[in-house]
Amino acid sequence: MDKNSIWIGEKDLVRDEAFLETVEQEFAGGDILENSEGLDYTQSNRRDFLKFLGFGLGAATVAAGCDIPIKRAIPYVIKPDEIVPGVATYYASSYVVGGDYCPILVKCREGRPIKVEGNDLSSITKGGTSARVQASVLSLYDTNRYRSPLKKSENGFEAISWNKLDTEVKEALSTAKNVRLVSNTILSPTAKNAIEEFISAYPSSQWISYDPVSSAAILDANEMSYGQAVIPSYHFDKADVIVSFNADFLGTWISPVEYAKAYSKNRIVNADNPKMSRHIQVESHMSMTGSNADNRVLIKPSELGQAIAYLHGILSDGSSSAALNDKAKSALDRVAQELKSASGNSLVISASNNPYEQVLVNHMNEILGNYGSTISMSDASMQRQGNEKNLEALINEMNGGRIDAVVMLDTNPAYDSSSASKFAEALSKVGTKVAVHYQPNETSVLCDYVAPCNHFLESWGDVEAKKGHYSLVQPTIGPLFDTRQTEQSILVWASSANLNADSDQPYMDYLKSNWKSNLFVDQSEYLSFNKFWDSALHDGVLSHGSHNETAIPFSGDVAMAKSKVSYPSSSELEVVFFETANMGNGQFSSNPWLQEMPDPVARTTWGNYLAVPVAFDGNKRFVGLNDLEDGDMVELTIGSESFNVPVIKQFGMAPGTVALALGYGRTEAGKCGTGVGVNVNNCITKLEGLSQYYSTEVSVSRKKGKEDHFSCVQYHHTFGVKAEKNGEMINADEAALGNAYGVTGYQGSLVERSIMFTSTLSGLGESLKDKKERRDEYEHLNQATLYPFEEYSEEKYSQGHYWGMHVDLNACIGCNACTVACMAENNVPVVGKREVSRHHEMTWLRIDRYYFGSAENPNVVYQPMMCQHCDNAPCENVCPVNATNHSSEGLNQMAYNRCVGTRYCANNCPYKVRRFNWLDYTTADIFPANQPTLSGEEIPFGADNLTRMVLNPDVTVRSRGVIEKCSFCVQRIQEGKLSSKSEGRRLVDADVRTACQTACPTGAITFGDRNNKQGELYKKFENPLNFISLEEVNVRSSVNYTMKVVNRDESLEA
Amino acid sequence: MTRYSFKSFFLSLTLIFFSFSLLAEPTIDEGKDLFRINCAQCHAKNMKSKATGPALGGAEERWADYDREDLYAWIKNSQQLVADEHPRAVEVYNEWNKVAMQSFPNLTNDNIESILLYIDDVYVNGAGGTTVGSTAVVVQERQTPDWMYYLLFAFLFILSITLARVISNLNVISAEKEGRTFQRKSLWQTLTSRGIITFLLFATVILGAYTTVNNSVSLGRQEGYAPEQPIKFSHETHAGLNKIDCQYCHDGARRSKHSVIPSANTCMNCHRAITVGSEYGTAELTKIFASIGYNPTDNTYIDNYDELGNEELKAIYAKWIGDTYLETKGLAELDNEGERVVEEQWDGIVNSLTNDQKQKIQGPIEWIRIHNLPDHVYFNHEQHVSVGKVECQQCHGKVEEMKVLEQYSPLSMGWCINCHRQTEVQFEGNEYYDSYKLYHDEMASGSRDKVTVEEIGGLECQKCHY
Repeated sequence: MDKNSIWIGEKDLVRDEAFLETVEQEFAGGDILENSEGLDYTQSNRRDFLKFLGFGLGAATVAAGCDIPIKRAIPYVIKPDEIVPGVATYYASSYVVGGDYCPILVKCREGRPIKVEGNDLSSITKGGTSARVQASVLSLYDTNRYRSPLKKSENGFEAISWNKLDTEVKEALSTAKNVRLVSNTILSPTAKNAIEEFISAYPSSQWISYDPVSSAAILDANEMSYGQAVIPSYHFDKADVIVSFNADFLGTWISPVEYAKAYSKNRIVNADNPKMSRHIQVESHMSMTGSNADNRVLIKPSELGQAIAYLHGILSDGSSSAALNDKAKSALDRVAQELKSASGNSLVISASNNPYEQVLVNHMNEILGNYGSTISMSDASMQRQGNEKNLEALINEMNGGRIDAVVMLDTNPAYDSSSASKFAEALSKVGTKVAVHYQPNETSVLCDYVAPCNHFLESWGDVEAKKGHYSLVQPTIGPLFDTRQTEQSILVWASSANLNADSDQPYMDYLKSNWKSNLFVDQSEYLSFNKFWDSALHDGVLSHGSHNETAIPFSGDVAMAKSKVSYPSSSELEVVFFETANMGNGQFSSNPWLQEMPDPVARTTWGNYLAVPVAFDGNKRFVGLNDLEDGDMVELTIGSESFNVPVIKQFGMAPGTVALALGYGRTEAGKCGTGVGVNVNNCITKLEGLSQYYSTEVSVSRKKGKEDHFSCVQYHHTFGVKAEKNGEMINADEAALGNAYGVTGYQGSLVERSIMFTSTLSGLGESLKDKKERRDEYEHLNQATLYPFEEYSEEKYSQGHYWGMHVDLNACIGCNACTVACMAENNVPVVGKREVSRHHEMTWLRIDRYYFGSAENPNVVYQPMMCQHCDNAPCENVCPVNATNHSSEGLNQMAYNRCVGTRYCANNCPYKVRRFNWLDYTTADIFPANQPTLSGEEIPFGADNLTRMVLNPDVTVRSRGVIEKCSFCVQRIQEGKLSSKSEGRRLVDADVRTACQTACPTGAITFGDRNNKQGELYKKFENPLNFISLEEVNVRSSVNYTMKVVNRDESLEA
Repeated sequence: MTRYSFKSFFLSLTLIFFSFSLLAEPTIDEGKDLFRINCAQCHAKNMKSKATGPALGGAEERWADYDREDLYAWIKNSQQLVADEHPRAVEVYNEWNKVAMQSFPNLTNDNIESILLYIDDVYVNGAGGTTVGSTAVVVQERQTPDWMYYLLFAFLFILSITLARVISNLNVISAEKEGRTFQRKSLWQTLTSRGIITFLLFATVILGAYTTVNNSVSLGRQEGYAPEQPIKFSHETHAGLNKIDCQYCHDGARRSKHSVIPSANTCMNCHRAITVGSEYGTAELTKIFASIGYNPTDNTYIDNYDELGNEELKAIYAKWIGDTYLETKGLAELDNEGERVVEEQWDGIVNSLTNDQKQKIQGPIEWIRIHNLPDHVYFNHEQHVSVGKVECQQCHGKVEEMKVLEQYSPLSMGWCINCHRQTEVQFEGNEYYDSYKLYHDEMASGSRDKVTVEEIGGLECQKCHY
């Protein structure tokens, strides 16, 4: 296999004939008119045509005769000082969902939050965000929200007043013998105060917390090892060798934004001094973190304990034996050497939910001397505090009839715990069930009262995500509905004397007085509390107190831990359950942006797909398990439950392992999330009360049919695939050209396609030489033109701005935060599963995932792909109406109102980044007949007045029949230019930052002015690792990528 | 005489007057100019109604008990006089809620006499006054009246008929000479001839197409659009007469994409003092009070205004309208006319402040938007006002002369583009434009005298469409 070969999937790798046929078509997914059920009028004949013609003329006449509708301009009555209509205001706040935390800045226009950005002042996330954070603003405008307090009656829920609810709830609580509060992790110290007040008001009550995806074993293990039930701080930036046992720390594990930021620091390669960390992932399926690893050690899910024990044995005793596959053993032998050589600068982590395995992990870090350098206990993370054992105990109590009242604090144990159905059943035995929920879920519908809570963008609050690191949550909009924030409800029910119910914002006062009596007195910087408060509120974050790292002696019982490590099963097939970066364990199901965001690795949307391993048949095919193909439906049996799930073939799976995501198959998640995928929470097994996210009692049937709407975007818009001709590898598309027309020596086919350059760290020098040779060759070819680009470019772009982008593929982890940020910033419509299956997704920025290296255990490279703003753009030349053309600042402009939808440009785009509005996804069209029916709902996502509040008013909402694409966030460019003009100074980098750039947790994307020699982009464009994707087609792209470098240790693969 | 030279002529005329007046006796003309420049912002020009400051008519009598010098001192620096506890000064000061009058240290005693003369003149003789002077010059625009065209058309028509007749007669004569009989065509035959019908059809098609295209192009354009607004706000009074800066109320223009329609509290900055309008009395101003919840009778904002019903509102504002009516008419009790006025004005308030979507009187005034751009157009006022230093009037016309605001420009793309082609970029003193090095070099070398908006990309699609 060619050294630089990359492939997007198994069909690409084996040059599948059917696949090659589809890639020749420009718009796959069939003819739009053939597939358009719901668009009956399109089945028309000649007479219909005449009718339409008549109607068209008539309508035009009527429209011409009509008066222009009266539009109103409604000013404020009393304008708030800080609002200038048309100018965005930013407020510092914090994104908090259970234990998920991210300090943010909220962009508001005329009082509406429309976009979330990271807060650069945070010492934890340093301005990074995740896809979940980016999408959180949409959940504020979720049509599925609770809109008023409710009480269950015979005919379902009825709206009641807050007074009535409070009276009845208080009465029920005061007569209850035992009360339980159930929540996920609570990060807010003030909320914990409120809970304490509640408990002292109702002394029989207890507070129970659990997490939808548990990290309880780490808490238990640290209790056993160090006497502290906390999650330590991991410093990935200080680690030279990282060994992760199944921990998806870049995607979902505990604090992914923080970890990604730190991790990427040692992954960005400087060509002059090539140095990077080595990341070894021991796992069973290709996780997002695993896809970024240099080496992956494949084990079956049940072998995890043994793998940990084996590595521990070598590190502690020098030799080890374990029930583990031989390949993994020999790899772990090498890993142990690596770790030892990086003692003190290494890091071993594990997502195992077996506390004894975690004790061994702790002990390994202890042996390696990592405490104090890569791990610290003094600023321990609070981001996971829950323990599902408590939930188990509660279920027993409820079943025993000992609980009279429960208050659910926006949790969903009837769906997202491993005892979901048991919980639902036990809950029915409780007298009074109060749900303090944001929107209906499987648990709240079982309750008697619903006391709806606010979105975090409507709430006050504080967060202590790590010891001594505080941040504030402040409302950016008044509550949209008749809701009340959780903490206030708790305090009202506790009849707290500290809550002044007559105040305008009672909980703000409570929060302030709590800060005044705790944090304010402990500091000396500010003399007045108001100044202290204002500064904290302005910054959004506050670091408090000193963090002296004191070594705590390890006190774990290693021998006992070793004896309690789990043993592998002899089962032939095992299934591993994992949390995805978009869905969590279902907390984010009702967010259409996240549903439509492709899974980073599998690239599937709208549902969970069973990932099955592939194996090379020795001839020409990579065969999936049971001969399954992508999109085949199978019956999956886990224990006593069986599911019909679609299949996706996945590279890099441990043999005998299948994987399925958690968080799907919700039954109460509104229009968007209900019934998407299947729910496997009930199949999670237990070990000493702790959830184990795999099962060994599993079987997968043979193909049972095809999925109706197979919505994996990986093969969409693909072209330029390699094929074999006369025993030689050539480009498939150009081969067709050569055959049909006898064209030879056509420029593109002279050279190898340069979509991607990859290298290993050790072979970097050679790869760079290689790359230079190839780029020189492209340059030579590109010079052979009648229209020399250089002269033109000098004349056109040498002054003013010349925009460009740089993407560091070594920093990119494929998390898709940029994709969602782009949707939020640019009003990109959500199209739904059926449309995605027809290749009609509208994302302007996609992250292409390519495999490279060994087909058995490949490495992965992510390539964010957006409009490349080619200076010699092929799309511009073919537009018959000049709707797309070039600006003097190097932007490839798209004028929607001029576009007539011929789609020639999309056809001609080598990067396939142009998107066509096949249907009226936004209802921007004036004739409603053009509006599609998506997944059965009455109006498309985002077309109702509530959800429209999230639209960016500076960006046009596109109607049916026009092409759209990445604009390099031209609205931000114009805004940045204006603010520097207004201030009479030169434009600097900070003036213009694109949405994808600000969203990126690792700083992989840099945007800027190529003419600004002081700018960051100018420096990055000098990076010797740079390449231009498809440089040989001479489109003069404005985006530079860096070569992907992996620090792969080949000896691990032996 | 062009408009511009007329202006400068007028200016020099005024200057001559001024320089003359420095030496000469006080005159009403001088007083009028001085009043307009110095006093009109706060004092009503009819001298009879209250504005931000008291009505000035009869001021001399009110100060008659004191030394003339005291009146001069009061006008030049009222606060000094208040501090000195001058009885009349303190009385006025307290009467006007301790709002201090602006100081005018530059006015000479003669100037003040002129102003007083003018005040007295207007007070006694009414708004026009007896002002004599040479300032009333009407600009005559040379425009051909329509009847000329009709006359020309009729003349040509008759001429063509006559000529046709002449030709026809000549034909008959020549035919007779040649011994042929000439069949004279009847009018009907002429009209139904092939040539005429072809011509008419052709003309219809061309005219039809021309009209259709033109009308389609102007579809959605509303140049000259001047809808009736919920409040008869006059830009002429505010921007013209009182010379209030455009950006005092439209405070977004310098810093935002929107120029911003002022909120009701901006109106109240002045109208807390000016509670009766110069043009419509209480009829229009009370609408603002009813929108924001201000009770002009006792000069307070009403508590819990949002919760009041229409009857309670009516009680408050009917009293105010009635009281003002009584005051102006000098009556003790409302007559029939007065009751009609109160009812009429109250109905006006209800109609202006409520509509199908907004049932309550309380809350924002829903103005009718005059300048509308399509949704796919991005326009930013800050760019044009602050950076480009474009005068408001360039696009909005002479707003200060508009009693009812109308759309002055077509706001079409062609109109925008045209301006971008011609307008010079304000390179001077703005470091932002330093990045256009080539242009700077060319200007330094003299090969270029200006850079237009077009030349820095001002015609590109994505400057306005994104």
